[in-house]
Amino acid sequence: MSHEERIELAHRQHVKYFMRFLNILPSSLSSHDTTRVTIAYFSVCGLDVLGSISSINLELRQRIVDWIYQLQVHPNKESGDMSSCGFQGSSTINIDLGAANSHYRCGHLAMTYTGLCILLTLGDDLSRINRKALVEGVKALQTDEGNFSATLSGCESDMRFVYCAACISYILDDWSGFNIEKATEYIIKSINYDFGIAQCPELESHGGTTFCALATLALTKQLDKLSTEQVEGLKRWLLFRQVDGFNGRPNKSVDTCYSFWVGASLKILDILHMTNYGNNRKYVYETQDCVVGGFSKWPDTCTDPMHTYLGLAGLSLIGENGLLEIVPTLNITNRAFEHLKTIHQKWATES
Amino acid sequence: MSDSGDSDIAWTLYKDRPEWKDITPVSEDDGPNPVVVIAHSEKFEDVYDYFRAVLKKNEKSERVLQLTKDAVELNPANYTVWQYRRDLLKALGTDLRSELDYVESVIKQSPKNYQVWHHRRVLVEWLQDPTLELELTGDALLQDPKNYHAWQHRQWAIKTFGLFSKEMAFVDNLITEDVRNNSAWNQRYFVVNNHLGWSDLNVQREICYAMEKIKFVKNNESAWNYLRGVLLHDKRGLSGNAVVTSFCEDLYKNKCRSPYLLAFIIDICDEAIKKGELSCFHNPDRAIELCTALATKYDKIRSKYWNYISEKFKIAKNEQEEKEKQQENGDKMDD
Repeated sequence: MSHEERIELAHRQHVKYFMRFLNILPSSLSSHDTTRVTIAYFSVCGLDVLGSISSINLELRQRIVDWIYQLQVHPNKESGDMSSCGFQGSSTINIDLGAANSHYRCGHLAMTYTGLCILLTLGDDLSRINRKALVEGVKALQTDEGNFSATLSGCESDMRFVYCAACISYILDDWSGFNIEKATEYIIKSINYDFGIAQCPELESHGGTTFCALATLALTKQLDKLSTEQVEGLKRWLLFRQVDGFNGRPNKSVDTCYSFWVGASLKILDILHMTNYGNNRKYVYETQDCVVGGFSKWPDTCTDPMHTYLGLAGLSLIGENGLLEIVPTLNITNRAFEHLKTIHQKWATES
Repeated sequence: MSDSGDSDIAWTLYKDRPEWKDITPVSEDDGPNPVVVIAHSEKFEDVYDYFRAVLKKNEKSERVLQLTKDAVELNPANYTVWQYRRDLLKALGTDLRSELDYVESVIKQSPKNYQVWHHRRVLVEWLQDPTLELELTGDALLQDPKNYHAWQHRQWAIKTFGLFSKEMAFVDNLITEDVRNNSAWNQRYFVVNNHLGWSDLNVQREICYAMEKIKFVKNNESAWNYLRGVLLHDKRGLSGNAVVTSFCEDLYKNKCRSPYLLAFIIDICDEAIKKGELSCFHNPDRAIELCTALATKYDKIRSKYWNYISEKFKIAKNEQEEKEKQQENGDKMDD
């Protein structure tokens, strides 16, 4: 117990860490050029989990909101086509294109999902989104198999984007772009012989894709489609991911991010309390950088915004002091989720 | 991959190249007050300014094909550049074999990048020729035997083109090298499930294979999970296969207390109870005893879980005793 008391959240440093990422990044991060919105998501939502959303002053808040809206791809001006609609991850291809190649400028499901989360977390009322168009953009990306591609512009399709599409549909409170039956079928087909869930049927079970699948089933209210055997098997597989922290696959190294991916999956199944919080907490803190802030996947390695956010989110799931509560399915704080509910109410009265 | 532009002495910016004079670069419009700004190198900005310009013009030419190579080198995760490159390959009728070589070299540099593997897959689909895929993924798995991207591509190629014939030997090698390689165990299941089939003979052979590997390393989740997976295809289930049940009891007798073994015996008990086939080894009391051992000694980190499982057996036991009592009463009434 004495050791557990010694570990402390470097709260102030983490706030500074996220504020730096919201500002300017070195050229060594050029390979993240098309996914800048996700970095903004980890930073904004990370500050929120830290209870420090007010560190973002009104001026910065407005800048972030305006920047996100600027990345929204609108319906084709001539044809009215909405299949490209969504949010882009950056302004790299934020240019007007002619009819022959307008499809290169298109939304990306992970960016639409994280972009919407940022807007919600910053208290925006979503009044500038084109709901109908975003739903059509989701619809255009579901495959015959039931899963989703990320974007129209040539891309793989797998469980990650099933999850992003489910989150978008939930946030927009409109499931007309998401075939729940087909997606559920795809998820159930991706359950493996060890009862974990994979990126696609027959691949190896994985903690991250299991989260994507389970959160989707929860958001679409389809958890009851799993048999008792599947649920019990899944519980076992997930609980066996705990070593001290959690790993993502049997016999792989423990990694901070799985304290969230596996932790949130267990929370969705309502059995997170069966894990050992003390060991989990201790591992996550071993990956904390107390000097400049941030968390890394392993002790004494480089921190990054994703592991920092997921480390904090994982700690929040087990009730760490000083952190806001997380909604495990959508991966935003309860505070942001309450705001979403008021938006849903408003939409319901308008329609 | 990081931007190596600064150390590239001989590099000539596109804006300084005479053969590109006809193109007016288009700079990025990131709005008046952007956030999460990346301070790209001059080379990066220059290449992407020209990429935007040709995209806008929809130019399909050899020089643009070269430009996409530079753009991809600076950011292999840019899926739009890859897509435009594929459209160029089609429009220009480029030799796709040389493109296979090229993407292979990019995969070697960025083996965990989604876009490069997707590009590879499209090329193989176009060519309808998977002859290089087993070697390519084999090389990637030599570097990292658990590379998810490589396994995904390999499974796709094998399934699409029916390349199963040598896969079992490949898998066996990997498991021999590292018996804890869960990806390899998963691939073994994939091969049996899609190719060899779950005939009685194959089921028995796979059971023996898993047991051999468990004897070698007992506390190996991957092998235990595989054994359980194979038994999904055995009509007799977990509890009805004497080879398996006596294997477990032998391990137990020889003081093995791996949580995977104890969990397995608990599951055998569970099945035996459900089937109404109780024995001195497989009954609620044994299961409860094992749950207690796991919770208090052998798997303390999951003690709450084992207590939860134990509770289920206690309920089952009570129900059973209740039933027996009723039976007795019924018998007495009959007397």
